[in-house]
This record gives sequence, structure tokens and C-alpha cells, in this order.
Amino acid sequence: MPLNDLLSELGIMPLRAIAFQSLLLMVAIVLEAMVLRQQLRLGYRTSMQYAATLNLLATSLGWVAFLAAEAVLPLALRSQIISYVLFNRFYANSWTDVLPVVVVVVAIAAFFFTYWIKLQGLLWLLQLLGQKPIDTTPEAIEVSRRQRYQRARRVQVEEQRSDSPRALAVLQANALSFTAILVLLLLVNQTGVVGW
Amino acid sequence: MVGGLLTFLRQTLIELGNLLSNLLPPRYFSWQTVIYMSLFSWLMSLLARLLATTAFTIGLLATISWICLAIGVGWALESNKARLFGIPIAPWVSGAILCLFLFGSWGGRWLQPALVAWPLVSFAVIAVPNLLSWDFSLKNPPPAVRQQLALLFCLSLLFSSWFQFYFRIQTWVRNYPSLVADSVENSAFVYRIPGQTIALPAGVTHLTIAEELLREQVDNKPWPSVERWLLNLDGQRQVMRQRVRSQTGRTTSLEDSLWQLDFQPLSNGDGYTLKLWAIWSGPAASPSGYYLEKTCLLMPVNRGGLLPENSPAGYSTTQWASLTCDLETPRLAGHPRGVGARGQV
Repeated sequence: MPLNDLLSELGIMPLRAIAFQSLLLMVAIVLEAMVLRQQLRLGYRTSMQYAATLNLLATSLGWVAFLAAEAVLPLALRSQIISYVLFNRFYANSWTDVLPVVVVVVAIAAFFFTYWIKLQGLLWLLQLLGQKPIDTTPEAIEVSRRQRYQRARRVQVEEQRSDSPRALAVLQANALSFTAILVLLLLVNQTGVVGW
Repeated sequence: MVGGLLTFLRQTLIELGNLLSNLLPPRYFSWQTVIYMSLFSWLMSLLARLLATTAFTIGLLATISWICLAIGVGWALESNKARLFGIPIAPWVSGAILCLFLFGSWGGRWLQPALVAWPLVSFAVIAVPNLLSWDFSLKNPPPAVRQQLALLFCLSLLFSSWFQFYFRIQTWVRNYPSLVADSVENSAFVYRIPGQTIALPAGVTHLTIAEELLREQVDNKPWPSVERWLLNLDGQRQVMRQRVRSQTGRTTSLEDSLWQLDFQPLSNGDGYTLKLWAIWSGPAASPSGYYLEKTCLLMPVNRGGLLPENSPAGYSTTQWASLTCDLETPRLAGHPRGVGARGQV
């Protein structure tokens, strides 16, 4: 039966991970947009766009980091990861005793890594959006260049002044979304909703 | 007669003309033109191949053909407003065609780079018209477009990561084929579409090899020698593992070190029940792991029929061993020798 062949060719697919991640991303984006909107006095639409961009950036960079790290880890630790991904539990091998410590350290590192990425991403995003379209005539270029230098200087000064509320807002947003995700994961693992 | 033929010919010509005017693009600047350019370029590359020109010419013509095809199909979908859940699909189809072209000629396992690159290539298809004008000078789109492009880039990176995760799981399964035989019902990450044929774990093969060895060593042998064979249990286990290792050595995989072969004779009336175990010590769905068990019956039998006519007394009491093994290898949770080997889980 060709359909069956195709299915066994596809094998095990990370569909639950995709569904789960989409759900958690939506929760995180909504929560972070609320915090950014309150703290930075942004519009509703703007804050949603910022939060979505930052969260997607952090998530995809996290995937890249995970996929790169998984390829270079020692075999015993890799098989623990395989066990967790496929069977939702660790198994007994030489890493069993240190695994809780590893998990906690990785989680804390992930929090601060995400925070740094989001803060940096917000700076990049503001830089990307802050530029005005350029006129192509030489005088206009000259004028606009001078303007841009002035603006850049002003922006730098402003940035130094407004850096700490932004950092604080991103920290709060990140903490809120991490807490929400953690609570959701605990709930799901408690009630066994995963077994759908 | 001649007049009839002429009218028929005229009719045919008019029909042909109608057909052609249907095929011809309404304007020169339209997607049909681009598709025809692609077709023309492809035919030219075929012609070039027939004439045995340099590989560069053929490659260039084929490349132009593919790029025109991608542009043409994307344009056609866009002008017909093809939407899937409100999302324009034109850039994704164009990106897929470009990926087919870029990676399809690689051969071997080309699907993996093609699928991983697909979202990123599609993003490039969306971004390039916004960032480049017709004379290849950089454009500076308005902030709203820039914001959307940044969002799209992050999204396509996420899609690409998902594809890569899928292929990483396939690599795991290639390295540890027995994982497929376990249930992934509890997983929070993966899902297996039901109805697939699931391969047997490698332990079944190991048990079959062990059974063959057992047959060579004890089947149809005099019972006393079998009793002697059973005295050196540790040695026989070593031999058995050696045999399995040498027989599976050709298709060695990472998981071979996670299977352990063991057996234990239990006395059963006159003879023995031999339990052969293939014990899996890798990742498993059940908390205490699992093992496969094959049960064999080793019994002494009298072979009256084989006795010579004038045999001395006592010869008739010589017994021979007969080995019968079950075909099925039930899968049991835990460890056959209790919890000692695995520790608490």
C-alpha cells in the first residue's frame, strides 16, 4: 500500500513539538507584548510586533544552538537527550546522577541567553526601523547624511538615557514568559495531557 | 471535391489560429511570457546537449530555465491570488522550485538540505523584490515593510529549525534502530502516525543467532556431554556474546553496545528449560527498561531405534539431548535478574 509506505518512510515526526511550541510561543508573545506596552508606552500593534519578532528570534537561535550542541555532546549524554525526546524520561546510565544539576544549569543559562538575545534583538530592531528612506540626489544624500549623523549622536545619547528602562522591561517580559511556560509545562506533565 | 478540401483546410487553420491566440500571452509583460522563456531555454539546453556543447552552456541554459520557471509559477499564483488560509503561497512555491533546482542535482540525500533551506529561500524570494530595484540598486523599504521582513526572517528560521530537528530524529533512529520498536506515546516532542509497520528490535536477531549456536553445541549430543557443557555457564555466555558480535559485526551500529545477551538454565523434570535473554540497556519507554526472552526446552530422549542389534548392556541407557525453541520472543519489562543491574530508575 503506497500510503503506508510513505508513512513508514516519514517515520517519527516532531509534530507534538511543533504544536506545543506554537502554543507556548503565542502565550509568550501575548504576555511579553503586554509588558512591553506598559513599560515602554508603545502602541498595541507595535508592541505585538516587537514581542513576536524578539520571541521568534530567540526561539530560532535557541534551536540552532541546541542542534549544534547536540552534535558535539558525548554519546552517553546524547542518548539521554534522545531518551527524553522520544520517551519523555531519562534512563539509567553514567549521567543519571548529575542530570538534575545539568538540567537546572542549562535552564538558568537559557534564561539569561534568551534575555541577552531579546535585549540585543530589540536594539537591532529599533535601529532597523529607525532609519528614514534615503533620497538619491547628491545634495539630499549629503543633507541626509549630516542629519543622520546628528540623529545618530542624539539617538546614542537618548539610548544611554533610555537604556535601563528598556533593559528592565525586557527582563520583566522575559521573566513573565518563562514563568508562564514553566507553569504550563509542569501542569501538562502533571495531568498527563501529553498523552493525547 | 477540391473546394471541400480547401474549406476543410481553412477551417483547420482558423481552429489552429484560435488555439494559438489562446496560448499566446495577453501582454508581453505577463507570466505566460516567462513560462515560455523557461520552456524555450529548456529546449535550447536539450539542443545544446544533443550538439555536445560545453557543460557550461548546458548548465547556463538549464539554470535560466529553472529561474524563469520559478518566477513564472510564482507570478501566475500571485496574479491568480492563490491563498492558503489567507497566506499567499506564491513565494513558498517559487522557493520550493528554486530549492529543487539548487539541491536536486546533488543526488544521494538531497532532500535534507533542500527542505532545510526551503523556508530561507522562500524568505529570500519575498525579500529580494523589496530590497532590490530593477537596476540592482538597493532600495530602502518603509519601516512597516522592514518590520514585516524581520518577522518573516525569524519565522522562516524557525521553520528551517523544525525541518532540521526532524532530520536529526531520523539520524538518531538510523544510529539506534531498536528505538523505533518502542512506543513513543508518552513523548512531548514526537508523534508517529498510526498504521505504520514497525520494525523488530535488533535483539530478536541476536536471539536467533544465539539459538543457532545452542543448536550446534547441544542438540543431538549425548546427554552427559550436554551436562558437562552446562557446567561452564560463564564460559558459554562468553562464547555466545562473541558469536553474536562476530555475526552482527558487518552491520555495526551505535546501539550494539546497548544489547546484552544472557541465558540461564532452570531444571525442569529430567531436563532443563533454557531462558535466553537479549537485554536492552538503552533509552526505553518503560521506566525499568525491557528485555526479550526466548524459551528453549532441553530434554534427554532415548533413541531406541538407533541401537545396533547386538549392543552391550548399558549402551541402551545412553540418552541424547533434544532442543526445541519457541519461535516468539515476548518483550518483558524490567531486568531478568532483578533490579541489580539497572539500579533504581
